[in-house]
Amino acid sequence: MVDSGFGNKVISLIGVGKSYRSYTRDIDRALEILTGKVRHYQYDALQPLSLQVAKGEVIGVVGKNGAGKSTLLKLLAGTLQPSSGQLEINGRVSAILELGASFHPEMTGHDNVYLTCAIQGLSRQETAAAYEAIVNFAGIGEFMQRPVKTYSSGMVMRLAFAIATHVDPDILIIDEALSVGDGVFARRSFDRIMEFRQAGKTIFFCSHSLYQVEALCDRVLWLDGGRVRAEGAPAKVITAYGDFLQQESAIVQPPLVTATATAEAEAEAEAEAEAASTATTVATPVAAQAVPRVMAVKVRVDGTEARVHAVQSGKSRIEVEVRFLSVAALPVPSVGLVILGGDGRYVASMGTVNDGIALRAGADLTGSVMVTLPDFPLLKGCYVIEVYLLCEQGLHIYERVRQVAELNVEQRGLELGIVTLPHQWQVL
Amino acid sequence: MTFLLRLLRLCADSLSIPLLAPVKHRALVRMLVQREIASRTSGTALGRLWPLLQPALQILGFWFLFAVVYDMRNVRGPGFAQYMLLSMLPWLCFSEVLVRATGLFREFSPLFTRSRFPLEVLPTMALVMPMLVYTPVLVLTAMWLLGLVAALKAVVVIPLLLVWTLPLVLLCAVAGLFVRDFGQALPFVLTLLMYLTPILYFPDMLPAGMRIWLWLNPMSDWMLLIHAWLNGGVLPLESVARLLALWLLLLVPCWLWFRRTELHVRELL
Repeated sequence: MVDSGFGNKVISLIGVGKSYRSYTRDIDRALEILTGKVRHYQYDALQPLSLQVAKGEVIGVVGKNGAGKSTLLKLLAGTLQPSSGQLEINGRVSAILELGASFHPEMTGHDNVYLTCAIQGLSRQETAAAYEAIVNFAGIGEFMQRPVKTYSSGMVMRLAFAIATHVDPDILIIDEALSVGDGVFARRSFDRIMEFRQAGKTIFFCSHSLYQVEALCDRVLWLDGGRVRAEGAPAKVITAYGDFLQQESAIVQPPLVTATATAEAEAEAEAEAEAASTATTVATPVAAQAVPRVMAVKVRVDGTEARVHAVQSGKSRIEVEVRFLSVAALPVPSVGLVILGGDGRYVASMGTVNDGIALRAGADLTGSVMVTLPDFPLLKGCYVIEVYLLCEQGLHIYERVRQVAELNVEQRGLELGIVTLPHQWQVL
Repeated sequence: MTFLLRLLRLCADSLSIPLLAPVKHRALVRMLVQREIASRTSGTALGRLWPLLQPALQILGFWFLFAVVYDMRNVRGPGFAQYMLLSMLPWLCFSEVLVRATGLFREFSPLFTRSRFPLEVLPTMALVMPMLVYTPVLVLTAMWLLGLVAALKAVVVIPLLLVWTLPLVLLCAVAGLFVRDFGQALPFVLTLLMYLTPILYFPDMLPAGMRIWLWLNPMSDWMLLIHAWLNGGVLPLESVARLLALWLLLLVPCWLWFRRTELHVRELL
């Protein structure tokens, strides 16, 4: 059992496991309940797990599909009951699992707020007290007296997210979606969750975005095949999990093709890379109105601008210039750059936040930044550059621009590996 | 001693949890009722009147058939149409509740499989709408047929009948979930049971050899009770005792079965 060492324990799992039962006929289930005689086959979705979580901790849960992440979150959310062990939760839980699942399409937004809050255990008075804040946050005040069936899917999501985060939960459970909706609301939903973190609420955060998990969590749980594969400091667990994924994807994934690839092949490879890689694969909100967006990206190698470049290892100078449009209501964004290998592996990354660079936007709200990679140190191979436009904290992704350039690196020497490290020889 | 204490605790839970659920979760029950009304009446011109109109129009139809077309007032005596109509309404309510109970888990599965929904509210949801619909209709019918005093007395009839129906609701909910055929067969069984219950005839019209059915059928006791109560007659204590004993006998095992199903229900649906 892992103890966080924190006081104020809010979640306690002692040997909590979950098995699903499978019956040949439905009536076998009824007979088993009546007689107590086992008539089922079972498979374990979650092996007995012990975990103590203190108030204010942010716990990340990572793992491949089918690892047991959703089962664990559903147990914590109370939509599933454990098959074994003891699960104790002290405090109100709000889960962002399936937004809008409890909404009834024929009821108005107003009534759906009261219905959802009632399911959460809030009295009418408590709901009334939170109602205005929910409506303001969702930003759909004029639609609240209309049936939800007339809402767009974005509006449903906004209202559901607003409810989930305004019922004053002590524990917030987030499955995948850290930012909900698009444009301004995505940023607001992200900020809202950050507020929870700063307010010392306990958060369970499950995501494929390892970057965000590492950036936000105090502790990470890696589930694999229903078992805890590793648990501990984010840097340690995420690194181990990333290596694991890389090994898996190296087995199943063909290398990315080079500049001659057709558009179809590129799209397919991209999808595969996204599914299997350790990439920051948060579904990127499409740059919509009123959110910062990338206006242009230029990649120059030794002064020549193109999309596909021949690069000399250790000699070429690469410049990546990103021009962006900021938004007056939001802080000036930050920029990140990632270099991926042909197998989809992240080879290197750099970001303005990480390097302590504050970007500026002019009166027309546009701004530019350029990063220079002198004496390009990567060895022979095919590499791809991706650019990210992020919030000022470098956490929330406004826009991801894929494959802004392909670098076909050649080398003269016979060095092995992917990078030349700065080094000195001394004959002794 | 421990076993006895556990048994007592179980009995207390079986009585208190389902019966107090509508009080404990009143905000939720209220919103679920609104949800149901919205589902049933959305887009209709008469809106919220429809749930009330449906049983009322049914009763008018029965009245037209038996009192006007067949002229049963002359065939069976002046009280027959009254008797039949005041028996039919509780029966319609009872059968509607049981038929609905067979699909209760599936009806509410979108809520309890995706959110932290208290399952003990479900039996209430099978009972509360019929109570809200049939109580005013029975009161108006009693007023029309028997006068103000009977109308006032009629207020308690449907709620008491539905509280008594609770164990059967629990039973039907679980059976309907696991045995799909149960939900298909139940309407037919209920139709048969209606013919075995003195609704379309006075109890003394049943041939002597078949009177045993009146004793075996608890709904016959309900008909005796309802008419005695509404007409100011003496309450048949034997019927009261039998109904109460049956209720207590059924409630504990039915509640246990329902609770033990909870683990399965969230996985199955």
